[in-house]
Amino acid sequence: MTRVAASDRSVDEQTPTPAPAADRSGAARVAPLVSVEDLHVSFIRGGRTVNALRGVDLEVQPGEILGLVGESGSGKSVLGLTLLGLLPDRPAPTVTGRAVVCGTDMVTAGAEGTRLVRKTSLGAIFQDPMTSLNPTMRIGAQVVEAAGSTTEAIRLLDAVGVPDPTRRLKSYPHELSGGLRQRVMIAMAVAGGPSLVIADEPTTALDVTVQAQILELLGTLRDELGTSFILVTHDLGVAAQVADRIAVLYGGRLAEVGPSAELFGAPRHPYSRGLLRSRLVLATDRSRPIRTLPGEPPDPRQHPPGCPFAPRCDHYAAECDAALPVLEETGPGHQAACLRLDQVTEGPVVVAEGTAPPWPPVAGIGRGNAPAVLVHGVHKRFPIGSGLKKKQLQALRGVDLALNEGEAVALVGESGCGKSTLLRSIAGLQPVDEGSIEFGKGARPQMVFQDAGASLTPWLTVGEQIGERLRSEGLSRRQRGERVTEALSLVGLPHEVASAKPAQLSGGQRQRVGLARATVVPPEVLLCDEPTSALDVSLAATVLNLIGRLRRELGVAILFVTHDLAAARMVGDRIAVMYLGRIVEIGDADGLCSSPVHPYTRALLDTVPEVGRVHVRLKGEPANPLDPPDGCPFHPRCTRAEASCATTPATLQPVDGSSVRLAACPVALAARTGADDTGADDTGADDAGDDHGGR
Amino acid sequence: MAVAEAFVPTVPRRGTARLTGASRALGRTTVADKIGLGLLAVLVLAAIFAPLIAPYNPITPSGLPFTSPLSGGHLMGTDEVGFDIFSRCLFGLRNSLISALVVVASGVVIGGTIGLVAGVVGGWVDTVLMRITDLFLALPGPVLAIAFVAALGPSGFHTLVAVAIVWWPFYARIMRGEIRALAARPHLEAARLAGAGGFRRAFRHLLPGAVPAIVITASLDVGNLVLTLAGLSFLGLGAPAPAPELGAMAARGLQYLLQEWWVPVMPALVVFLLTMASNLSGDGLNNATSGR
Repeated sequence: MTRVAASDRSVDEQTPTPAPAADRSGAARVAPLVSVEDLHVSFIRGGRTVNALRGVDLEVQPGEILGLVGESGSGKSVLGLTLLGLLPDRPAPTVTGRAVVCGTDMVTAGAEGTRLVRKTSLGAIFQDPMTSLNPTMRIGAQVVEAAGSTTEAIRLLDAVGVPDPTRRLKSYPHELSGGLRQRVMIAMAVAGGPSLVIADEPTTALDVTVQAQILELLGTLRDELGTSFILVTHDLGVAAQVADRIAVLYGGRLAEVGPSAELFGAPRHPYSRGLLRSRLVLATDRSRPIRTLPGEPPDPRQHPPGCPFAPRCDHYAAECDAALPVLEETGPGHQAACLRLDQVTEGPVVVAEGTAPPWPPVAGIGRGNAPAVLVHGVHKRFPIGSGLKKKQLQALRGVDLALNEGEAVALVGESGCGKSTLLRSIAGLQPVDEGSIEFGKGARPQMVFQDAGASLTPWLTVGEQIGERLRSEGLSRRQRGERVTEALSLVGLPHEVASAKPAQLSGGQRQRVGLARATVVPPEVLLCDEPTSALDVSLAATVLNLIGRLRRELGVAILFVTHDLAAARMVGDRIAVMYLGRIVEIGDADGLCSSPVHPYTRALLDTVPEVGRVHVRLKGEPANPLDPPDGCPFHPRCTRAEASCATTPATLQPVDGSSVRLAACPVALAARTGADDTGADDTGADDAGDDHGGR
Repeated sequence: MAVAEAFVPTVPRRGTARLTGASRALGRTTVADKIGLGLLAVLVLAAIFAPLIAPYNPITPSGLPFTSPLSGGHLMGTDEVGFDIFSRCLFGLRNSLISALVVVASGVVIGGTIGLVAGVVGGWVDTVLMRITDLFLALPGPVLAIAFVAALGPSGFHTLVAVAIVWWPFYARIMRGEIRALAARPHLEAARLAGAGGFRRAFRHLLPGAVPAIVITASLDVGNLVLTLAGLSFLGLGAPAPAPELGAMAARGLQYLLQEWWVPVMPALVVFLLTMASNLSGDGLNNATSGR
């Protein structure tokens, strides 16, 4: 095998020929826009070889949206960067194979060659628009730089749905909301009419309702401009919403490629099937643990000899270790790389199915429902700025919540709704301005953090950090060690982990350590701050199961914060939906998900992804907590808003006279008593509510 | 019910991890860094073994005055009294290094403690301590040191005390900054929820994280101090003659620069080499540890 460095500048006689404009004119061209053949990429990191890509073959047709799906370490981002010709120089990667983009092989073209392709034919969108935009330049200057003229810049901003583009040109990036910034990035990416736009996790940093809007925009741009998109994402559901075809990467190789509907509906590869099965939907069986993929994603520094998925596969046989499986045709345009395809079940994955034994009934619920935490009328304000520009961010604006012993309540809402502030106030990490938080037995609650890595002290061993909670118990060193080992085994970790530093653990293991520390002395209340949102899809399900099991074995009450209603439904006995510092609807998990009352709850339910459908019920972005609207906080975005909503504050009222179901929407409640539930699919297109995200 | 999953913890053996870490760190240094480190190693060895290497007693005349270098058994020649310059330079080097290290150590201890207290306690304690620090930073260090030595009387020890008094604010600033940055990380909140007390949080969860920055600052500072101390000694604010001090030697020899050039140039050359080696090694250490 010849070693070809990506930085090799020897551009042969074939000077890179930028794709002529005719290519994009819609005339049916058979030649693919992107053609990747046997692409290998590896680099040295920390003295060890990381094999990021190990023989990838892929094509993208003009005007196609390809979803590139994989977990962390699967090589999906490296593939995206290779196609852009932007692989980092240091450490120098070793690249072999071909990656032809618009007629130029990005592997051999050299720095100047790839730059020309990027200039004429490529666009890129990255995860965090705040880091991709220059914070010192006005939006206008940056978009004009990409678009060539102010008129063109305004046209582009208008096309990507930035309201009042002429005025926005004068804004700095920090003055825009996350969704608007991503729209600006998209405008810059499609400026100059590129043939291909590579979008690396473009919606991951955004709120669920905004994520749906951005996905819809990508679909619209493809239809209008004929631009191809490569959508790199870790979420099969997101890819299935807009992509025409999906390619599933695993361990640096393609596991399966096929049309979206087919791959999502009836995947063939055991990995795709497992990934789909551990995805949470609203129909998932709540009464038993989620079916998960065992183990963790492969370490790109030491791949197994044969099929990378073999160690986690239900259909494993000795032959799987013998050779790397290659993609085989399983249907029209549908390929899968598995030696034992004949053994793998065909047909659709029943997402809701569960085979594990059901959860035992929760021990705590029967204990007379004494409250473990009682939150009453809590307000929390943060001062922002100083002097004349002094403002108040109203994070919590009157929250009442009772968490009973042994009960699990999930708090759901978008960023800025105050759910994390509420959790931190209960944890005692910050005082509240008004109201009270009382504990049933006075015990200090424990907390599991979103970023498990950052919540562990890097230079202390895991054992020392878990043992820290035992210091007041007056145990001997040996007893303490035993308790640490017990706590680790309860979360499924071997005792050797106790002597490891956090950096030596994987993301999933770190979150387990976080859980072990929180439960080594079982607390009365366990607070979970989005503990799964930073984890890979297959690991998130495992951690949710672990929380469900710990809760039942230890009898702790759980307050679980998430932005994902499907996850909330799995963990919580009850769900509380928050919007702008208030609870707008609360009730039992099944009831709330099957017949939502508040329009915002309905909108959130719609964001749970489905194939080939981007259902944008909500326009605009969450309102600004610096300046919450009068009346019902949701009315500017609401499809059912009436004139009275802008003036009358909405308070939580019982739904159908129930004591557990409460909703803060007089309009919906009135409609409910008038006629029966109108169902969740009444409004498709609506025009109420404009963009209120910008400040 | 247990989570029946086979976990292969990515726990490398301790020794190998440290070894690859060290070789990786060395790989990040440049050629200049390596030259600096090599030179510093030679100078440090020379300073340690000065009594063994030195051919003559540095404070008794060992030959005729103004013997030129490389003649009469005098590598760097002799000065106006007949002292062997090479021997005096070796002992001067030794004095310079020890003094610089003592001042750096005192700066780390005093400044580090003040910075740690300010960063951990915060509030008005932080404000008061940092305003005092600002006050010291605002005064021109060498001038203040000269004033101190002038008041205390010239002696090697007094010079060290004077420089140490003006040297710590730098470290207080850096320590406080590091501690404040670390304190904003979630791991400190987690430690608080785990019931770790104030002292434990300060010494186990905060201080170790600030050590690398302090060590790098200190290593870059040694060269500065060598130069500052030599400067004070040049001005006559060091140990009185005939103590072998590089700055004083250069100052006294200055009048012979045109005829017997080696008398002032040799000690100045040693100061130059020591400062350069310290600075290059400090950069090297910085390069080796950054990007971790």
